[in-house]
Amino acid sequence: MNRLTILYDATCALCVRCRDFLAQSHAYLPLELLASQAPAARERYGEVPWLGEELVVASDDGDVWIGPAAFLVCLWALRDYREWSFRLSGDVFAPLAERFFVALSSNRRSIARFFGPVRCEDGACEIPHAPRRMYR
Amino acid sequence: METDASSFLVPVYVAYAAIAVPLTIGLARTLFKHGAVFLEDVFDGKPKLADAVNRLLVVGFYLLNLGYAALIMKAEGGRSVVEAVEVLAWKLGALLLSLGVVHFFNLYVFYRIRRRTQIALLPPPIAPQMRIPPREYASAFPAP
Repeated sequence: MNRLTILYDATCALCVRCRDFLAQSHAYLPLELLASQAPAARERYGEVPWLGEELVVASDDGDVWIGPAAFLVCLWALRDYREWSFRLSGDVFAPLAERFFVALSSNRRSIARFFGPVRCEDGACEIPHAPRRMYR
Repeated sequence: METDASSFLVPVYVAYAAIAVPLTIGLARTLFKHGAVFLEDVFDGKPKLADAVNRLLVVGFYLLNLGYAALIMKAEGGRSVVEAVEVLAWKLGALLLSLGVVHFFNLYVFYRIRRRTQIALLPPPIAPQMRIPPREYASAFPAP
C-alpha cells in the first residue's frame, strides 16, 4: 500500500474541516483527499455503494474501507494517531468507537453548526479564514 | 562507652554509603548492558546513535540516583544499636523504592521508543470491507 484516497463529503462543513486537518497532519503515506461528489470520484469509485453517504477510504491496491473502519484507517495513516487506531480497534474500545463514528457520521450536519458559520454553495463547503488549498 | 547521642550515626552513614553507591553502580551497569539490546533494535542501522542514547540515559540515571541518595542521607536518632539499624533500614527502603520507580520509568521510556518504531510498520487495524481492482492513475495527484 503506497497511498490512500480519502473520499469525503464536500457538502458537509465538518467533513471539510476534517479534510483540512488531514491535509495539514503528518501522515505515514501520501493521502489523496477527494470530494466524493467530484466526477473523478464517481468515475474511479462508482462501484462503492456508500460513496457520498459514508466516509470511504481506498488504498491504491484496491482495498476499500467504509464508515467507522474508514475513520480508523484515517487515524492509522497519521503519525500522531496511529496508536489510537489500534487502541480504538481493540476489544475494549471497538464497540464504543464504532458507535461514536456512526453517530459522528450520521449527525455531521448538525455537529457542523457548533463550529460556526460556513458557506455551502454549489455543493461544496468553505470554511471562512481557512487557508485556501487546491484539492482535486 | 560514648554517651554521645549520635554515636551510632557514623556507622549508619558509612553502611548507607557502602550499600547505596555500589547498588546504583550495579543497577546502572545492568541498565546499560540490557538497554543496549533494546536500543540497537530501535536505532536499527545506527549503532553509534544507539550507543550515545544509551550512555546519556545511564548518565542521567547516575545523576538522579546518587543525587537523591545524597539528599536523603541525613538521619535523626541513632542513640542505640536498634535505633541505628531501624534508621538504616528506613533509609535504604526509601532509596530502593525510589530506584525502583526510576527503573520502571526507564523501562517505560524504552518501551515507548521501541513502540514508536514498530508501529510505523504495522498494517491497518481493520480488514477492508471490499476490494476493487487496483488501477493506474495517469497523473500523480497533487500534494494537498
